[in-house]
Amino acid sequence: MMNTSRRAFFKTFLSAGAALAVSGTVGQTRQADASTQGQIKGVCLFVPTLGKATDFVDLMNKNARGDWTVHPLTGSLTDNYFTTRSLYEDAKGTANTFVGVVDPATFAIVHEAIVDCSGCFHYITYEDRNRVTFSVQL
Amino acid sequence: MSNFIALPKGVTEEDFTKAIKEYRALLGEDRVRTDPASLQSYMKIMIPESSELHKPSAAMYPRTVKEIQAIVAIANKYKTPLWTVSTGKNMGYGSAAPATPGQIVLDLKTMKKIIHVDEELGYCLVEPGVTYYDLQQYFKKHKMNLWVDVPAPSSMASPVGNTMDRGVGYSPYGEHFLFSCGMELVLANGDVIRTGTGGVQNSTSWQSYKWGYGPYVDGIFTQSNYGILTKLGVWLMKGPPPGGYFPFLMKFPKVEMLADIIKTFMPLRLAQIIPNACVVVNAGWEAAGHFTYDKNGKGINRETFYKGKGSLPPKVFQEIMDKYSVGAWNFYAALYGSPEQVALNWKYVSGAFKAKFGKNVEIITEKEAKDDPIFEYRRQLMMGGSTLQEFGLYNWRGGGGSMWFAPVAAARPSECDKQMRLATEILNKYGFDYVSEFIVGWRDMHHIIDLLYDRTQPDEMAKAYKCFDELLKVFTKNGWGTYRTNTAFMEKVSHSYGPEMRKIHYTLKRALDPNNILAPGKSGINLDIPL
Repeated sequence: MMNTSRRAFFKTFLSAGAALAVSGTVGQTRQADASTQGQIKGVCLFVPTLGKATDFVDLMNKNARGDWTVHPLTGSLTDNYFTTRSLYEDAKGTANTFVGVVDPATFAIVHEAIVDCSGCFHYITYEDRNRVTFSVQL
Repeated sequence: MSNFIALPKGVTEEDFTKAIKEYRALLGEDRVRTDPASLQSYMKIMIPESSELHKPSAAMYPRTVKEIQAIVAIANKYKTPLWTVSTGKNMGYGSAAPATPGQIVLDLKTMKKIIHVDEELGYCLVEPGVTYYDLQQYFKKHKMNLWVDVPAPSSMASPVGNTMDRGVGYSPYGEHFLFSCGMELVLANGDVIRTGTGGVQNSTSWQSYKWGYGPYVDGIFTQSNYGILTKLGVWLMKGPPPGGYFPFLMKFPKVEMLADIIKTFMPLRLAQIIPNACVVVNAGWEAAGHFTYDKNGKGINRETFYKGKGSLPPKVFQEIMDKYSVGAWNFYAALYGSPEQVALNWKYVSGAFKAKFGKNVEIITEKEAKDDPIFEYRRQLMMGGSTLQEFGLYNWRGGGGSMWFAPVAAARPSECDKQMRLATEILNKYGFDYVSEFIVGWRDMHHIIDLLYDRTQPDEMAKAYKCFDELLKVFTKNGWGTYRTNTAFMEKVSHSYGPEMRKIHYTLKRALDPNNILAPGKSGINLDIPL
């Protein structure tokens, strides 16, 4: 069972993460309207220290119905860099939402992986010092 | 309201619009970006300043030397400064963000050619966007037994960027600038020059003989803003034969042992029995590696052990050391050569440490380490492999704040010990932990301290800035120079080397780039700021 703060996080996270057509500033995208539910074809990266895969899938489908795929980043940071690159490149042709919830070390690597694939972020937020959420343009 | 998120200093909106139009006519719309989303990644800094102070006005992605020549012509015409990055992985030193707001990031990651790899003599010639990983893949594909020395972010950083910032690695070729040979640069006036013997028509030794003829100029293009490097020669190490690479770790239980550790290995280092840029890593750094590697899926970091304010008390440090079985100091080095040479040298090395420390040293080789991820990360680094494990440090305190304080020490035991004590005292005074490693150069130590703090907390940001400032002042007063620094402190570090040095840096800048268009502020060289 997820705690309340995590539920609150997902509410914000998903509405901002599903800002499909927004190309405004980083600050503005968090207020962007979510796309119509059901249109989401999303990819979510997460580190297992922040939750279980089943929790992520359940909550995503509960808050923003769609076709969600979650990818736990379970390997070394080196693995995570290459995995993220690969997932992001794949998502470019197959998904419309690419989001994540990770720890600061993983975020440092994921950020560079996405930038190295010419990706741009809708937003990056430190929910607290140990937890970063982000949404990437596709 | 401006159409741009920032403008270069002294450039009007109208002129900048014209400049962007000309840049786009040259490169096309896609390779000249001014939209906020495209520029966001260049504003992801880890230093304790607002990203507003480092906000770029645009980013450009040239592919050829000719395009760069045309870019500098436009830059001179409109006085639009260019902040050059290769792959932009200078994390903890300012990342890819410009030193001052409004500069255009000239991102060379789109120049990705491995122009030549010479297996016979062990060198390569590469463009700025080539990463260490790209080279490793090239060696693998072409079945070349070559090693390239890497810095910690080896999977994504570039030899050009790291060498130009005088970064270091961990193999016998660890001092990167020393093992570079031949540069090609575009100057601010559009000239293209090749250093060393590169200017000789049909030169056959551009990557094999460093000095050329007359004044040797390569050094003035490193940590500087006098040219845009477009090609670099890098010397590569021949991989030793099977059984000829022997990495090892020695763990020591007490902080006070640092001087004796250095006293024991420096003669072996000078005799080239230990030939590589070995490292002495403190407990904090070593433990942080485990913070990403909890096999039970449980989030562990500094907070797991200590929820109080301020720096970690020594007893908590001890608890972390015990839990992860790390030493107060952890010495990683390697032996290279034929298996026979390695076996003989190991007798000298292990014998010297056992004689000095007896039961107070724990010796770990690959056999004992098994699948230990931290040993593996060091093993990779000392053989030019791919790893990003070092970034586990960012989970130590969380919050995304990191600055490398990087003074140099002469490799004398008492001097290193004094630096360690002073740094610990100052960091602890501000509530931060001493998290460090000493990278052993030829006769110096790069004392690399990661000032980790929470960027989401304004009070921690302010403290981190003050702490770094005090570290710099105190170390300078003691005669210790800083070898490399982040964009927030470049001006201050520049002053620490004295007015005469600043004067010559400025004289060169006026001669080579009178319009101040190349990376103003890099290493404190900015014609907009008086001497």
